[in-house]
Amino acid sequence: MDLLKSIVAAASGLRVQSGRMKVISENLANADSTTDRPGADPYRRKVPTFKGQLDRELGVRTVELGRVRTDTSPFRTRIEPGHPAADPNGEVKLPNVNSLIETMDMREAQRSYEANLNVISSARRMISRTIEILRA
Amino acid sequence: MAIGGLPLFDALKARMSWHHARQKVLAENVSNADTPGFRPMDVKPPVQASGGLQLARTQGGHIPVGGAGAGNDPSQQRRFETTPSGNGVNLEDEMMKVAQNNQDYQFAATLYQKSLGLMKTAIGRR
Repeated sequence: MDLLKSIVAAASGLRVQSGRMKVISENLANADSTTDRPGADPYRRKVPTFKGQLDRELGVRTVELGRVRTDTSPFRTRIEPGHPAADPNGEVKLPNVNSLIETMDMREAQRSYEANLNVISSARRMISRTIEILRA
Repeated sequence: MAIGGLPLFDALKARMSWHHARQKVLAENVSNADTPGFRPMDVKPPVQASGGLQLARTQGGHIPVGGAGAGNDPSQQRRFETTPSGNGVNLEDEMMKVAQNNQDYQFAATLYQKSLGLMKTAIGRR
């Protein structure tokens, strides 16, 4: 039945968006994670990837979370000579996490999640309407 | 005569399965709203086989019937929003389509139900 397939597709979207929220919250939680010794790298921002795939059993194009890659952009730095991770010039490397970008990504994930929820409730309304024909 | 053989019921049934299929395609579009390179799809509306009422042009100055004008077919509209990753899904657009699909389905289901009531009246058991 196609309506159940549409619920499967939307549920895969829900799963992906919640996985994305997990990565975003990891990034936000580690926005200030420096190391404790000079020369070592601090936390590197993680980027979720998406890939579409075909569920051959049901014939539905679902989506799933691909490998979580790391952001290769340069680290932020701050002059703080007393810090345990400071190099000889007094610079401390900070994670390349920009909390503004993370917040925007979070909003986007939230909206996509809601859109998928909408699709599920719409499909469910259609199913229950079909069952109502029996009660006529 | 079985109920399945009546043209009205057949047409409504085809309509309802079209809405099912469309709901599936729209759900795929929404769930892939962030997949790079994904192009949204839609299902063409079913064409009426034959019969039924047709619009007629009685004056030369009338707007031509049959969608000859290229400007008023919404399915030919160009996509105006494609993200840098190549994803062409426009969530607002898809939400509108889902709502429309749902409404039309309710409409067809109600018609089906009413026609069943009609049959029951004809049988004489109400």
